[in-house]
Amino acid sequence: MLRRYRFEILAVIAILAFCTLFLRVGNAEFAGSDTVGSSQIAKITGIPEEQFHPLVWQWVPPSGEVESTLFALQAAIGGIFVGWFFGYWKGLKEQERERT
Amino acid sequence: MHIMEGFLPVFWCVVWWLVALPCLALGVYQLKKVLSADREALPLLGVTGGFVFILSSLKLPSVTGSCSHPTGTGLSAIAFGPWITAVLGAIVLLFQALFLAHGGLSTMGANTVSMGIVGPLVGWGIYRALRDTPVNLYVTVFLAAAFADLFTYFTTSLELALAYPAQVGGVGSSFVVFMGIFAITQVPLAILESIILVLVFKYIVQLRPEILVRLKVFPEGKIMAAGRDA
Repeated sequence: MLRRYRFEILAVIAILAFCTLFLRVGNAEFAGSDTVGSSQIAKITGIPEEQFHPLVWQWVPPSGEVESTLFALQAAIGGIFVGWFFGYWKGLKEQERERT
Repeated sequence: MHIMEGFLPVFWCVVWWLVALPCLALGVYQLKKVLSADREALPLLGVTGGFVFILSSLKLPSVTGSCSHPTGTGLSAIAFGPWITAVLGAIVLLFQALFLAHGGLSTMGANTVSMGIVGPLVGWGIYRALRDTPVNLYVTVFLAAAFADLFTYFTTSLELALAYPAQVGGVGSSFVVFMGIFAITQVPLAILESIILVLVFKYIVQLRPEILVRLKVFPEGKIMAAGRDA
């Protein structure tokens, strides 16, 4: 039993351990590392961040809410693919079992 | 791991696009070949590609007090190799550049090289080195996924260091600084991601070991043993 579900158990432990790491960090900002990276570029070059302009025009989500919607959409698209094909495999397996 | 639009000089945008394009072309070619040779490869592509979509949308906080996201490219690199994975990575990056303002079209070449090419290539290399050894199949998947993730961020750091060498210490000292931002943040995320991908791989082994055997992902004996064991 324990061996059968060893990866599930390991995953739960890892997620819990991951969460507890943040009990210690306190009030950090948790900005995206992309943003932190960009500020570092500004620091190295001495050019303020505002002066970096897109080379190619880019649509920017009007607010953080809109952005999080689109991120959720990205995950949902992935989830549909994963669920669809796991379901397909499951169905195939059932079918094979019935045949034999 | 995205280099934001406008934050890479034109010269480096062009360089990385030139590196990325032939890899993507090879990936599209391989993709067509794999899918026409075996229709049952499509579900595996859907599952491994789906995880690139899901995991790269999750921005997780990390110990350094900033957020970053896993890449999810390890499974696809193992099943289909780095070039097809580059195509999957590019699709995700295009979605994020167009709709999320994460990364951009000019920096997409550089981002494709890090997330789609170098990361998966390193992961795939580790997998190929261990595939025919007695090393446990799940350990192999774990290591390949973890290194695919870590080397994505390693590459981003290198790309930024090359474009922005520090006044004192040059590329090397810039690299150390960017590694501090991207790579250290990534270590716990890479471990977490890899455990999740190992779990997913276990489900594939349980449900559809045939396709892994047919695509010669692992030697048949190893897959069957893992299936009985799980």
